[in-house]
This record gives sequence, structure tokens and C-alpha cells, in this order.
Amino acid sequence: MSNDRFQNNEPDDADRLEQALPDGPQADREIGVDANDAGEAASARTGEATADAYGRGEGVGEGQEVQGLSQGQIVWSRFIRHRGAIFGLVTLGLVILLSVLSMGIGPIPGLWRVQEITSGDVIDGGRPTLSVPGIGGATGFAIGANPFGQDSLGRDYFAQVMLGVQTSLLVAFILGIVALLIGVTVGSAAGFYRGKVDMALMRFTDLIITLPVIVLGAVLGALVSRVPLRIGAGPELTASIRENMPVMLAVALGCILWTGLARLVRSEFLTLREREFVDSARVAGASDWRIITKHMLPNAIGVIVVNGTLLMSAAVTLEAALSFVNFGIGPPNISLGYLISDNQGAFSTRPWLFWWPGLFIILIALSINFIGDGLRDAFDPRTKKIPSARAMAKAEKQLVASRGAASAQSNGATAVQSNGATAVQSKEDAS
Amino acid sequence: MARFIARRLALAVGTLFVLSFLMYGLLEFALDPLVDLRENPAPNRQELIDNRIRLLNLDVPWYQRYFLWLGNFLTGDFGIAWRTMQPVATLVRGAIATSVQLVFAATIISILLGVTIGLVSALRQYTSFDYAITFVSFLLYSLPIFWVAVLLKQFLAIGANDYLQSPTVNWPLVVILSIVSGLFWAGALGGKRAKRIQVFVGAFVVTLAVFAGALLTGWVNNPTIGIVGIGVLSVALALGVSALFAGMNNKRALYAALTTAVLGTVLWWPLQWLFFYVEMNWLWIIGLLALSLALAALIGWLFGGPDRQISIRGAMITALFTSVLIFVDRVLQTWVPYNNAPQIRGRPLATIGASTPGLNADFWMAQLDRATHIMLPTLALVLISFATYVRYQRGAMLEVLNQDYIRTARAKGLSERVVIVRHALRNALMPLASIVPVDFITLIGGAVITETIFGWAGMGRLFITSMDGQEVDPVMFYIILTGGLAMIANLVADFLYAVIDPRIRVNA
Amino acid sequence: MSSTPSRSVFTDAIKLSKDTGGPVAKGDVILDVKDLTVRFWVGQEWFTAVENMSYQLRAGEVLAIVGESGSGKTQSSMSLLGLLPPTGRATGSADLKGTELVGMSIQELREVRGNEISVIFQEPMTALNPVYTVGFQIVETLRTHYLINPGAAKERAIDLMRMVEIPDPEDSFNKFPHQLSGGQRQRIMIAQALACEPKLLIADEPTTALDVTVQAEILKLMRQLRERVSAGIILITHDMGVVADMADRIIVMKDGRVVEHGSSDEIFNHPQHPYTQQLLASVPHLAEHVESTEFDTPPRTVIEAEGTPVPLNEPLSDAAPALLMEDVAIVYPKQGRRAEFRAAEHINLRVEQGEVVGLVGESGSGKTTIGRAAVALLPVREGRLTVAGHDITNASMKELKPFRKTVGIVFQDPGSSLNPRLPVGESIGEPLLLHEGLKGADLSRRVEDLLDSVHLPRSMRNRYPHELSGGQRQRIGIARSLALNPKLLIADEPTSALDVSVQARVLKLFKELQEQYGFACLFISHDLAVVEQVSTRIAVMHRGHLVEVGDTLDIVTRPQHPYTQRLLSAVPVPDPAEQRKRRELRDAIIEREHLVS
Repeated sequence: MSNDRFQNNEPDDADRLEQALPDGPQADREIGVDANDAGEAASARTGEATADAYGRGEGVGEGQEVQGLSQGQIVWSRFIRHRGAIFGLVTLGLVILLSVLSMGIGPIPGLWRVQEITSGDVIDGGRPTLSVPGIGGATGFAIGANPFGQDSLGRDYFAQVMLGVQTSLLVAFILGIVALLIGVTVGSAAGFYRGKVDMALMRFTDLIITLPVIVLGAVLGALVSRVPLRIGAGPELTASIRENMPVMLAVALGCILWTGLARLVRSEFLTLREREFVDSARVAGASDWRIITKHMLPNAIGVIVVNGTLLMSAAVTLEAALSFVNFGIGPPNISLGYLISDNQGAFSTRPWLFWWPGLFIILIALSINFIGDGLRDAFDPRTKKIPSARAMAKAEKQLVASRGAASAQSNGATAVQSNGATAVQSKEDAS
Repeated sequence: MARFIARRLALAVGTLFVLSFLMYGLLEFALDPLVDLRENPAPNRQELIDNRIRLLNLDVPWYQRYFLWLGNFLTGDFGIAWRTMQPVATLVRGAIATSVQLVFAATIISILLGVTIGLVSALRQYTSFDYAITFVSFLLYSLPIFWVAVLLKQFLAIGANDYLQSPTVNWPLVVILSIVSGLFWAGALGGKRAKRIQVFVGAFVVTLAVFAGALLTGWVNNPTIGIVGIGVLSVALALGVSALFAGMNNKRALYAALTTAVLGTVLWWPLQWLFFYVEMNWLWIIGLLALSLALAALIGWLFGGPDRQISIRGAMITALFTSVLIFVDRVLQTWVPYNNAPQIRGRPLATIGASTPGLNADFWMAQLDRATHIMLPTLALVLISFATYVRYQRGAMLEVLNQDYIRTARAKGLSERVVIVRHALRNALMPLASIVPVDFITLIGGAVITETIFGWAGMGRLFITSMDGQEVDPVMFYIILTGGLAMIANLVADFLYAVIDPRIRVNA
Repeated sequence: MSSTPSRSVFTDAIKLSKDTGGPVAKGDVILDVKDLTVRFWVGQEWFTAVENMSYQLRAGEVLAIVGESGSGKTQSSMSLLGLLPPTGRATGSADLKGTELVGMSIQELREVRGNEISVIFQEPMTALNPVYTVGFQIVETLRTHYLINPGAAKERAIDLMRMVEIPDPEDSFNKFPHQLSGGQRQRIMIAQALACEPKLLIADEPTTALDVTVQAEILKLMRQLRERVSAGIILITHDMGVVADMADRIIVMKDGRVVEHGSSDEIFNHPQHPYTQQLLASVPHLAEHVESTEFDTPPRTVIEAEGTPVPLNEPLSDAAPALLMEDVAIVYPKQGRRAEFRAAEHINLRVEQGEVVGLVGESGSGKTTIGRAAVALLPVREGRLTVAGHDITNASMKELKPFRKTVGIVFQDPGSSLNPRLPVGESIGEPLLLHEGLKGADLSRRVEDLLDSVHLPRSMRNRYPHELSGGQRQRIGIARSLALNPKLLIADEPTSALDVSVQARVLKLFKELQEQYGFACLFISHDLAVVEQVSTRIAVMHRGHLVEVGDTLDIVTRPQHPYTQRLLSAVPVPDPAEQRKRRELRDAIIEREHLVS
């Protein structure tokens, strides 16, 4: 068994494969070729006068003084056409807006009436006062005093959930940045230098992925909560450390979640290193640093951005799970996972205590996942070259119609062969 | 191959060693065995602390303590959980089996389901079905496992038990489910518009009829399959297996599978006598299964023809399925006594523990009891990891369908069934070997949460309680066990990979 | 799938698939294509890839469809089998012995595929399923169309493998594709295609992925087979040499349209359409300008003898040579469990200043390795390597910096040699920035000068590589390599990824620049005809050794080393009459060496 197997089939290659071919269909490449050639040929035909100097395809649109689109602009224009990604972006934006407007941010107070979480009287069993027409027989829209209800101590649940959203987002963001930094550094060093460096770094990575993240996370969570004791901090320092627990936890968790990214960046670098422009830069006299930062990292940006995004979505659920088993965030901070954990006993009588934080965890994670998917498609030049089955059926009708009209004039044969539809065909055989 | 395995083993042992050392160091700082004594107002506090320090060797630097621990561990002394003073070995005895059961069941089910749906999704690329599956897998991807587990426990299980106690048919729900089923099958089978409508109507009617039948006849309160059910289901499967793996043209394979199905159904009757008179155990069950597979192989062989192997394979798959049906049928026969047992009192869907304590069960009822317990935690794990397989398998299948040899296969005039099943599937399954170990590790992590929520006395829960209780030894045992399982999973994957890929197997 | 079973040549087998139109005799029209049009749904409209194509094919005839990439030559044939991508649609008519292929249902088509019409694809590496034995894959074709028991099918498969000259067919039957060489895999593809005795054989660039000596063997095989089977053959290729070797009639395609259609003789000797004329003029022709083959002087080449490498050629002047390799060995170190690999050994080579030396060899011969070592991308294990006076044998990164100003390299794949994230102007300017510290307007001016010198408009500096065609990208690559006015240029297959007409223009540009700048060049290529055009001397490599070095004229007319002779005879020339002569020589050499790759 050669080393290839080891390199080609690492678990992360799974994601890589997805990454590279999220929708790479049977004919994607062929279509790609055709589309390119088609474009080239077509424009060569239209601009025959200019094309003569350099031949077919060459010198297309040469006369124009047009500055081409940069890769970034192309990615952006593809991204904003991705419906799922826009849905995710808007949803995430609204969630952030809601939480910031209601509970403020940092020292700036928000607009919601409850800014301090204090216990109070439980009104109507703590039922949510939010009513939306059509749901639960409500007739009008109303927010009421406690739109998300109250917990068993009479605390306003809306304020708590909004604070939880802020904490979860903060953790996800910091965690994402930390993991991104470590992952990119380790991955690019391993992929660029290969050999012994690669070996050592990858062994280290293997070490970390041997344990489930939740297990490592629990240990690190316990470790972080033990910090004040270990450094022998006084009460004031202890309190301030506890205040900043989410940040510390995020950094600690960032130190274990980078492995997947590191392996992806590494395999990306291994591929990029074989690309001739890297040799080209080397021959031009570029240093290692310049080659890595100027030539290779920009070309790995797709992998990095996409997986950084997905990392953040994983971070939201990981933090929630850890807080749920009490190794994550606890008082005085509030996170969505902690809310679910804290109110576990009351779910059968107050189910809303379960639904609201859960809803927001899912909204955040789902939006980030969709954004990641949009980025993935946007960075992959090969995606979406193939129209959907429905669009294809429509196109075919159009073709038949135009052929029909044409054949009325000339005597051309009109048999349309839908032979390409092998994919559609397959289930007719399978069934 | 032997050298390769030896090398990987050595590497695994080395990794485990470094891992255990690092984790021991981390735990030293993360856990505080003296936590309960620090605030203790008792007058003999210092004495208690000294005792604790002596008990746990806390006066020795941690890296030295690590080697003490390692020495003991290697000689089979896994340490103690100091709160209860129970040896770790006793604590984990039942827990390992419980956890392994859970994780394996979840792994196998999510692979089977995820891979199948991922494949179909790839074959129906860019259809509504594909988009729907992609959306659902995204949704599942975004669900935190603990939330799903609580949802299942608090809402599904309790709701279902309530329903079983006083069944009233919720017609709108039944109709919605039937529509969903109709859409699913229409999308999965695809085809021209007329065909999709046919499939939709068919699936809708069948689902509706099954639900209505089950609910109105009280089948849900006394579920059985019976000889008729076994017969119908086995014959249907025999037809399905033949169509998929041999093609309906291969009459011999078809007849072999059908004969096996019919024979299996007929054998139901004598088996009931056997089950009645002989107390069963797993040895018997495995023996009977082996016997049925051997019979099926014989049937396939007798039908023979040029492609004996295909007939044998089809017959054996049918036999396996029929055997499982007969087994399930017998287990379900204990439903009524189980449901009426004083420990159950008509609430069969368990939410706590891995088995009902104090239940006076024979072999069959014990299986039923196990099933009702394992169902929900497994479902929670499957819902989470299944999405990974769907997305992964979809990508892998699309990549394979893009390969030149698929075009060659089509150009040879092979039917689409053969192109997909023989040429695409096998290649698309190969990279699975690299994703399974990763997912397996994730599932072990998931089990930590589900065990905690469903109150299973498994390794995951032991880990959480020991972390809470500041007990190092059980946590270290858990880490070694988990690390070891991960290494084994990786080794098995490497091995499987080598077995299925001739490029590695031949002149490796 | 079923139909009237009929008896066929397989006396013990019943045919499952329908025979269309009964038996054929040589000269019968088997395929009649009329107004065949193929469209693709691209973006939001139908793009026409093949337009109103009409032709007839007779049994036993070889029809070549030639054209450059994107001309629709492949899609026109794939549409006959219904193998277009999902977005493709074919209209018009294609009549196979009375059966209309266009618009046929998928079930009926399946009986035609592999049975009446079969295909040989370009990439034998990827066209066979890696997880099944080659024997199984041939048997599978047989058993799809015939009710035949596995034993008989295996026998027939082994017969077929023997027919395509697979060594030890009984043993090879159980081999997996990766255990066979490229040429053998292509033979398996041919055996599989012939399994059901098709009426029509479509060979889609059957030899493009193969080395030229292997190509020669496959061409020889195909010629033998066309005598034995009565099928009509459609040969799709871009290689005019292959066309000259095989074709009876030729269709020339451009942008989806048939521009010319005629007999091999008509097309090669009296091309009518300007495009055909231009295409033929672009094809490099081996030994085209050689006046006579009678020489007074003995050939000035040196060859590798038993155990003694080719010695260093005598210096032509006192100036330091641009490149000097003395007993150089280049070794890829052991990686993991992959053993170390000596890619090149005992290399003695001198390139004088301003001289262009061609380095020719097949894939894996080590020619690229030498090129990369010459620009210090690979370390030299043994011997001494001097470039324009710099000894770079064991130079450190720092010592290499001044050296880097004296060399440039042009890579094969213009798509890969430019950083996709940088505007091409920045790529060109990078060496200037790094070595001369040029910035701003100075840099701009120099970049514009360089663009001028490769005949590209200055506005192109702001474009990204993906917006440029292959030929333009290669011009950018050349401009970049010349930025520092190097003494030595390594051109590593600079034109192999380009269409012939683009190749011709790039080669013309190259010669022009070489005269203008006067750099020395090591021109690496697998294509002797290209190397002959640009170089004064040629070095031939084989399995990591130089086997022959000598003057271009002598190498192409009077090769001394047997390998050079074989290589030379294997190159098909784009002239049917001449190729007929060369073919005999080639077949004789193949017979003599009993080489089956």
C-alpha cells in the first residue's frame, strides 16, 4: 500500500470531495468544455474581423478596453444569486439585529424593557404573551409583557434568549477565528513544506481527532472554569474572569476545532504545489513566504472561507451541547444551551422553555450552513452549469416548437432525440 | 498486508500513549478532587484533605503519577472512582456493552439509510426531490443532538405512549403523512410526469391504507406480522432484490429468490413449535440463521444456470430478510404481555435506561424490551449522522457518474440498472471507508449526550458523571477506550479499503 | 430488452439484441447521416454545436472527422449513440442500415450500443472500470448482447485479446486495468469494442493519450483489424498524421460546420477551403525541408553505447555555455514507502549561448526532470550543473537568487502556469519586481513592452488568466519568462496543450523572439516535428538516459540509435503517400522488436 492511499483518502478528503464536486454531475465537465468552447467559437464568429489576427477563439473582444471581472467579483455575483445563501444571510442578519436592538451590546443598553434578568411573579403560568394571527387561535398581533414567556422563577424568557443568542454568536465568531488561524497555519505549513514538517503536524492533528470534540471540549470547559482557582485569583479577578468565560471557552474550543480545516488546507496546498504557477513564481525568484501568501493562500481562499463558515455553525451546536452538560457556559453568562439545560425539568409543564432557545440555535446554525453552501457554490467555478430537470424540459419544448416552425418551411427532419436524458432514464430501469 | 497492519498498529499504540499522557496532564488541571473539601466547615477538614491526598497520590507530581497510573493500567488495574470507592473495572463492566450497542446500531442504520438516500439524490440531481433532500440534510446538520434527544424523549415518546393508552385517529396527520410519502416515492422513482403522478397516487393510497388499517383495526396496540404478512413481504422483497441485482430477465435468479421466500414463509409454522418448546438464546438464533442462509444458497445453486452466483446471492438476501421477519414476528408476539406487565403499564416507549428493571422476561420479551429502549437514543444519533452520509454519498456518486468508465459502460449497451448497480455503486462506495471512522468518532461523542439524556448507564454517561465528580481514573479509562475504538475503526476502514479496491489489493 | 433471437457467428450463442438490417458486405452504405444537428442548452439558449452535418459511410471504410477543439467532432458522433450530455439534443437523421438512430428510444438504443455501434475512447486509463478485471469487462459486453454461457464468453474474450495482441491473454484476462500499460489498456478497449462484431466503430482520439511509439503499434493494429472486420470506422482526431495513416475519406469541421469533405487524397493534396489549407499549413511536418537523403559526410550524432553514456559534445566557442550538464543524475528521494526513483542519470549536455537544443522523449523518459533541474527546481544528486557560468549543483536558496535572473521557464499547461488570482500584468511583472525592484510606472512600462513583444494588446495586462484563450495565456507565459532577458530559456512542452493552428503561431512567435533576444533554449517536447522546426541540435532521451545527441538534420534523417530510429519511424506524417512508405518501415521495426507495449 502506497503513501498515496494515505494522502488521498483521509477522512477530510470526504469533505474535500464534496467541496470539489458538490454538484459535479456526469456531464458537468463536458458541458463545461462545451460551454467554453461554445462561447469561444460563438464570439469568434461574431468578431471575425478581429479574430483573424490571432485565429479562432484567440483575441476575442480584443479591441475593447474592458477591464475584466476579478475573481472576487465573480464569486460575489454568484453568491448573491444563490437563494439559500441570501435566505441565510437575511435570517442571520435579522437574528443579530433583534438581539442587539433588544438587549443592547456591551455597555450600550437595548430597547427591551427588561435589561436586568431578575425574578418576578409568574403570570399565567409563564405562558408566552406573543400572539400572531392564525397561530394558536390568536386574532391579533401582540407582543405583551413576556413574548417568550417566563421561566419558573418568573424571569423574562425573551431577554434571556436574546442574551443567549449574543453569547452563542460571540462564541461562534471567536472560535471560528481562532480555529481558522491555527488551521490555516498548520495546514499551509504541512502542505507547503511536506516531508518531516508535514508528518509531525499531521500526527499531531491525528492525535486531536482521535477523541470526539465533545469529550475534549468537556475537558477544556472544565479546565477553563477552573482557571481562577488555579491561578489563585482573588474574588474580584475571579468575578471578572467569570464574566469573560465565553471568550475563554471560545478560544479553548478553537484550539480543538481546527483539525478539519488544517487537513483541507493541507490537501489544497499539496495540489496547488503541483500547479505550475508555483514553480513559475519560484523560478522568478519568489521566497517561500511570498509564494505561500501571494500565490497559494489566495488560491485556497475558497476552501478556507467555506470551511471557516461551516466551522462557525458547528461551533454554535458544540457550545450549546457543552453548556447543556454543564461544561460550557454557566452563570453569570447565559447561552442558548445553558437555557435548555437549566430548564430541563420544566419542559413537560412549560414547553416554551425548550422551544425558544432551540429555535434560535437552529436558525443560527441553519443560516450559517446555507451561507457556507452559497460560498461553496460561488467559489466553485463548475457549479450550476447544468439546468434543473424542469428547466431542461422547458428548454426542450422550446426547441421542438422552433424546429416545428422551421420544418414547416424547409423539409428538415424533426425527430428530436432526448437521448441525453440518461439520468432520468435510470429509474425506469431500476423500477 | 501483514506488515502494513503491524505498522498501523504500532502507530496506533504510540498515538494512544501520547494521547493518554497529554490528557492526563490536562485533567490534572481541569479536575479538582479536593473541591468538596475546600469549603468544608468540618473541624477535621485538614485531616480529610490529607487522607484524600494520600488516597489519590496527589503529593506526587502529575507526570510521575501518570506513569504510576499507566503501570497499573497495563497490568489490568484501572483505578477507582473515589467517590464511591468502586473499582473502575466494575463500573464499566455493563457500560461498555451498552454504549457499543448504541453506537453500532446507530452507525449501521445511518450508513444504510444515508447511503441509499444520498445515492438516489445523486441519480435525481437537480430535481425537486434532490433539492428537498439537500434541504432536509442541511436542517438535520444544524440540529444540536441534545435538543433532538430531548425532543424525542419529552415530546415524541411521551406523546406516543399517551396515544397508545387512548388511541384516537388523528386524520389530518395521517393524510399529511400519506401525502409526504406519495411525494417522496414520486420524487425518488422520478420519470415522466405521468409516471410520477401514478407513483404519487399509488404511494399515497398505500400509505393511507396501511395507516388506516393499522389504526382502525387496533394493530398498533397489538402489532403482529403473521404468516400472511411474512409471505407478502418476503415475496415483495424477492421481487425487489431480483429486479435490482439480477434484472428481471434472469428468470433463474428470480425463481430462486421466490422459492426461498415461499419456503421461508412455510417454515414459519414449524418454527413456532420450536420456539414454543425450546428456550431460545442467541446461539440458537445464529444457528438457525446460518441454516436458513445455507438452505438459500442450496436453492440458488440448484436453480443454477450460467450465473449461479447471482442466483445464490439473491436467494441468500431474501433468506436473510425472511429470517429477520420471522424473528421480529416472534418478538412482537410478546407485545401484549409486555405491555400489560406491571413495570410497563401500557407505556411501552421507554425514555429512561437501557432495560426495564425487574421485568420477568423470557428471551423474546427481553428482545422487545431492549428494542423499546434502544429505539429513541438510536433515532437521535441516526438523525444527526445520517445527514453527513447523505451529503457525502451524493457527492461521491456524482463524482463517479462523471467518470469515463461510466460512459464506456453506457456505450457498451448496458442497461441503466447495471451501469448504476454494477459500475457506479461499487466505486462510489469505496471512499466511504474513509468517512466511516470519522463519523464513528462523532457518534461516540453524540452518545455522551444521548446517554445522559436517556439515562443509559453507558460509557458516555460515566464520562460526564466522573467529570462532574472530579474522578480521574474513570475518565482516563473512557479516553483510552474511545481512543482505542477510534484506532480500530481506522484500521478496519483501511483494511476494508484494501479489500474492495483492487488498485491497493493487487500488488500493493 | 428482448427481441427475436437470431443466430449469428457465435454458433452456440443466441443473440439478445436485434440486428439491424442484416449482414453487410464491404462497400454497402451502413450509415447515412443527413442534416444532423446537435444543440446544447447553455445559459438560457440553445447553442448549436454541430450544424446540418451530412455524410455516408460504407462498410470497410475509414472516415476521419478532423477539427480543432470545440469543432463539434466528438459530439456529432456521440449523438449517434445517444451519449450526449443531459443538456444535449440531436435532430436530423442518422440511418444505420435502415434504422433511424436519431429519436430512437433508450431501450432500442441500448441494443445498438456495443452491438451495432461501438466506441473506443481516448483515455484508456479512465475508460475502463478500475474495480473489475479487463476480462470481465469484455465478457460483460458479450453477455449483454448474447445469451452465452460464461465459459464460452470467456473463450471468446480470450480470442479477442489474442486478436489485439495482448501478451499471454489467459493470464491477462484476470488482470485489473491498473496492472496493464496504457497501450495494453487501449488494446483491451479495442477488443471490447469488437466483441459483438459491430457494423460501425467510432474511435474517438484513440491514440491521443498514448506515446508516439505506442501510438504506432495501435495504428498498426487498427490497420490490420480493418482488413479483418467489415465494419465502417469513424475516426475522430485532431492529428493530421494519424489521419494520413488511416483515413480513406475525411471530413474537416470547424465551429460545428463541415467545411470540407473529400477523399484523403483530395483533402491532403488539393484542399479547397481556406480553413483546411490553413490547418494543413499549421501542422509541423517531420523532415519536410530535407532536400535529399544522400549525404557526403558521416552523420554528426553521438549515441549511447553499451554502458557508456553519450559524451559531452565539443564546445563551439570559448564563451561559457548557457547550460552545461556533466554526468548529472537527478533522483526523486524516497517518499514514505515509495522507493527513490532515479529519473535521469549520466546526463552530459552542453547548450551554447544563443543555441536552441531540442530535448525529445516519451512520457516518463525524464526530459521534464532535466528541464526542471536546469532552473534549480530540482536538486542534482550527482555530477555538475552549470548555467551561464553559475555552478548551481549544490547552491543554497540565497546563492540561487542571482542565478534566477539568468533563466526563464515556459510550462506546458498555460492554464496552470499563471496564478488565477493575479491579473496577468502582475504575473509578468513579478520577476521585475523581485529582482530589479521595479514599481509603479517603470514596472508598467516594462510590462507593456513585454506584451508588445509577444503581440498582445497592452490592455490585456488587467485581465485574469481565465479570461484568456490558451494561446494568449501561453504568450503571457513567454513574456513572463523573458522579463529579465535571460541567458537560458527552458521551454517545457510549450505548445502541446494547444491546437495546431495556435501552435503554429506560438512557434512562429518563439522563433522571432529567439532571434530578437538571442537567448539559448532547451526546447523540451515529445513531438519531433515541433522540435525539428525550432532547434539546431536535438537530444533524444529514453528511460532516464540520453541515447543520442546530434544535429537536427542528422537526427531526423539518419538516426543511429535503435530507439531514435523507432521513435522517428513512429511519427506519422501528414501526407498519405509518404506515410504509406513510412508505415512499412515502421511496421517492420515493430515486427523486428516484437514490442507490445
